[in-house]
Parts: sequence; C-alpha cells; structure tokens
Amino acid sequence: MANSGHEQAARDVSGIINQRISEKVSFLRQVEEAVKDHHDKKIYQLLDTQRYAKEIEHREQQPNNQSVMSLVDDITNYLSNFLSVNLINYLGKKYPFFYYEEYETGHYRIYFGNWWDRREFGELDVLNVRFLFNDDEYDKLKKTFELAHNNKRYNSDKIDKISAENDRLQDLIDHQREREEKRAKLQEQLKDVSSRSGIWESSKNKESRQNLLDALQKLEDEEEEARTAAQTIKDNEQVVLSLSKENTILSYEQKSILDTFSSFEDFELANRNLYANYIKSLSDDGEKQVTDDEQ
Amino acid sequence: MMNNNRMLNQPSEQLNALAHSFEHGLEIGQHYVKLLSKLAQTDDAHDLLAATDELVNLDLDDAFVKFPQHYQVADYYLLLMGRLLEMHSNEELKITEDPTSHRFYATISSLGENVLFHFTKDAEGNAAFTDVNDNEPLFFLSLEHQMLRFNNKALVNYFIIKGLKKYSDLDLRSAIKPLLLFAQVLHDDLDFVIDRGILGTNNEQHYDLAKPELSLTVIDRLFVATAENDYMLFNLPKNNGAELRLDRQVNLELSFDPDDYSQQWFFAVHDPNNQVSFFDLLLHYQLIRDWYLSNRDSLAVKSDPLMFADDEREEQEESVTTESTVED
Repeated sequence: MANSGHEQAARDVSGIINQRISEKVSFLRQVEEAVKDHHDKKIYQLLDTQRYAKEIEHREQQPNNQSVMSLVDDITNYLSNFLSVNLINYLGKKYPFFYYEEYETGHYRIYFGNWWDRREFGELDVLNVRFLFNDDEYDKLKKTFELAHNNKRYNSDKIDKISAENDRLQDLIDHQREREEKRAKLQEQLKDVSSRSGIWESSKNKESRQNLLDALQKLEDEEEEARTAAQTIKDNEQVVLSLSKENTILSYEQKSILDTFSSFEDFELANRNLYANYIKSLSDDGEKQVTDDEQ
Repeated sequence: MMNNNRMLNQPSEQLNALAHSFEHGLEIGQHYVKLLSKLAQTDDAHDLLAATDELVNLDLDDAFVKFPQHYQVADYYLLLMGRLLEMHSNEELKITEDPTSHRFYATISSLGENVLFHFTKDAEGNAAFTDVNDNEPLFFLSLEHQMLRFNNKALVNYFIIKGLKKYSDLDLRSAIKPLLLFAQVLHDDLDFVIDRGILGTNNEQHYDLAKPELSLTVIDRLFVATAENDYMLFNLPKNNGAELRLDRQVNLELSFDPDDYSQQWFFAVHDPNNQVSFFDLLLHYQLIRDWYLSNRDSLAVKSDPLMFADDEREEQEESVTTESTVED
C-alpha cells in the first residue's frame, strides 16, 4: 500500500500548502485592508502579534508567525513611513521637544529641541514605537540630571579649571614690571656672587649662585609664557565658550524634560511604556482615526 | 536817469533816507515782536511752526536799529517743542528760562530738576536735542526738511549706559515719553517725517546692524547667557538667525532675510500689540542689555545723522513729498 500512503502524503502536503498559502493570503489581505483604512492599530498588531498580545491584550504565549510576517520585510521602510504620520503627530504632543528628520524613506533622526544649538539625539524606530537614543548623548543628559542635585553643570569642573588657568595667565601679564625689577635685582646679586667665584669658590657661594641662576631661569620661563599668554587666554575663552554652549544645550534639555515630565525618571518610564501607551491611544476603528487626524 | 549822489546831497533827501533806514530797522523789530508773540500765544501748530521757522532764520542785525540779542536760535526750537507739548497737555517736559543767561532749558519730571536739556545747532543747520552737560544728540530736527530722527547711538549711551546708573528703568521710560510725543505731534499735526530708530515699536521694523557681517560666536554668547535665566534662544526655521523668547509673547529676533543676497543682519521685536521697541528691551532686560553692551562693536544698530545731500535724487524726492503734504 505504498501508493495509497503516497496519496495520503500528497493530500497532506497539498493541505499544508493550501493552509500556509491561505494564512499568507489572509495576512496580506489584513495588511492591505488595514493600510487602506489607515487602521494603524491593526497594522501594529499584524507586524508584532506577540508584543501586541502581551502589552495591549495582556495575553502571553502568542508567538509571532515569522513565515507570514516576513512577507512584508521588503516593504518595512514604506510601512514605517506610512505609520510615522500618526506616531510623530502623537509624539509631538507627548514629547514636544523632539524634532524628526526623515533622512531616507522610513528612517528618522531625532533632534533634541529647535534652539540655537541642538544635538542629534538618536533615531526613531517607528515599527517598534521606540526611541533609539545615542548612548553618549543620552548619558550626558542623565549625568546632567545627577549633577543638578549638587547645583553643578556637566562641564562646570572643566570650565572652572580653564578659568583658573586664564586667571593665572592674566596675572603673569599683569606682573611684567615686577618681574623685570626682580630680575634686575637677581642679576645684581649674581654679579656680586660671581665676583667671589673662581677655582677656590666655597660650596656655599656655589650653592647661592646656583639658586640665583635657578630663580632667573624661573623668571625667564614666566616671561616666555607671558609672551604667549594673551593668545592662550583667547584660545581658552573659545574652549570655555564651546563648553558653556554644551552646558546650555543640556540645561535647555533638562528644562524641557522637567516642563513635560516632572522628573528624569518619569521621562524614562514614559519611554518604556511608549509602545503600549501609543497603541492604546489609537482608535480601534481605522476610518474614525483618519477623520480625527483630518480635523 | 537821476544821479543818486546828487540827490543825496540834498539834506532833506538825506534825512528821508535815514528815516527810511530807521523805518526798515523798526519794521524788522516789529516783525520780530509779532513772531515772538505768535510763538508764545498761538494755538495753531502750523502758525507755531511758521513763527519758529522765521525766527530761526531772522536776521535782526541792522545798521541803524540795534536790538539787544535776547534769545539764541536754538532757544526757538525748544520753545516750539514746549509749546507743541503744552498744546497736547504734556506736563512731563517743562521749559524754563535761566534768569541770568536768558537761555531756555527743558527739564523732564522723572529725571528731576537738575538735568537740563537744550538744542544745539550744527553746521548743516540741524538742531540736536541734548543734555546740556552731555554731548549726546538724542534726536536731530530739521525744520527746513521737516524731519526728526532719533539717534540710536546717543539713546544707548545716554539712557542705557549712563541713565541706568542713576535712574530706574521705569523713570527712564517716562523720560522718553515726551520726546516720543513731540515726534508724534510733529508727524500728526505738521506732517514731519519721523525716524524713531530703536524707539520704533512696529513689529515690521528692522533695526539694521551697522557692521556688514556678524560672527555667530556673538549669538553663541547670548545663548550661553540664557542658561542662567528663564528665557530661551531658538533657531529660526531657515537657519537665518535666532529668536529670543521673552515674557508676554515678546520676541527679539536677530536675523537676516534668507532671500536677500546682502545678508543684512537686523534686530526685530515682535509683540502682540506693536508696543515694544528694541530700546524697551535694552532698558528692561538685563540679559539683553549686558549682551548688547559687551558685544557692541558687533551688534551696534545703525545710527544715521540727519544729512541732506541735494545731489541725491532719493533725498530730493523725500523732501518733495514732505513739502507737498504740508500744502494739504
């Protein structure tokens, strides 16, 4: 009965094929329908059934059917672009300080703020409804909040150090006259000591001669530094300005977060719940949502 | 033809000629007196202006009749100002005569009685309104060209730098009022062309910077300064400058027109009621004042004197329009 077993297997195979195809067709139909109605909530459900079940319906154990989901892999950029309209509109209200730039279809750069100088802050992952913050930039912001507890700013220490250095340089410039007087005095003493040198020079005389020479060298070094000090001060001021600019940007970011969320922790919490909160905000009825947006 | 010499040789003719000369001198004097009383009494702005204009140009010198020089030309400008303000019941500015010098001075109530103002006249025939102890021409006035122009540089030096050391911003704001009213009256009643400079409150007004280029570092400095207070500095949508957002929807913009090839930088002040000038912001906001003054080389607003070059068509057209409006 090998033959009938074969037939049986053939029937099973075609059954499987039919079932798989109808699954795929049904999936694509649903996607097609949801896109037609701009039913974003449905699209999110179709794109990640597992996450949707867990975070929206609070049901576990709803594995994603990769075989059907992979059907839209080559159009994710377009889906992302399609879904970005409502998402960015929503984010505009919840995160009024973020600005987005679509640098290629479906891919969005995040900018923090529209102030005089601002930072690129990462990317927006539309399909997964999440921010992919740039780690370095995010850490700076986090650190800013920590430092604020001690009334300090991100670059305060660096700025203080450079400012102190500038004060010292300015002091060098201001005391040029004193240096000259001191040098004249030292040279006078050196002449005096040198007259007592020679082959029988006492070790004490030798020592004080060396001390005078050292002191003169120190003055010469200071003089040398003073000659370039004005330029160094200017250069340092530029560095301080750019450090202060970064401080300012961070303080604007801090201000904006506090204006919208009451603390950095609440901001982080909102980010973690963004998917659930956004999907829940979407209408169950695609048509209605579109009319809402048009109003 | 008669011979003059021969005629004057007759004593009666000589007397006659002398009498005529005296008569002419007296006529000048009578005219002078008439003008003075008109300046003092008329309630008509046009008559007032006409009297002032004549007095300013009147030559009292006469070989036969000498009048004591009482007032100086610049005094008539001050009298005109005082009378016009009086006609619009402004009591903040008062004109008083110094009993010994017979010169007139103006005082402004919010600055106290010890601060005296007067007009001086420059070589071009324009009058400048200044503090007597200070050579800052707060505005220039030309009766001939019917123009008044405030001087931005002097306004900043006098009120923002010196004034704030002694007075509150509110006192200085009141001190400006009679000056602005004077300009307004000249415009409304006598069709003068007025340039309020940094005192202008129109949202559309551009206060052009004197320097052709602006280093963005200067704007960076304002940005950094805002970190210490509640105001924020924003980038303009076309990256053509910055906007400082202040209280009550008042914004200060420092920008250039992105479509303008010359990229002329200018300040502009926007507020919901067209009531706030750049001067007001300098006066009331320490943030802006400190930044402006410490970067004044770069940020100074243009400050044009009153100059009328007759060979420039534009200027001529301007004065023609002014004259035609006076005739209306």
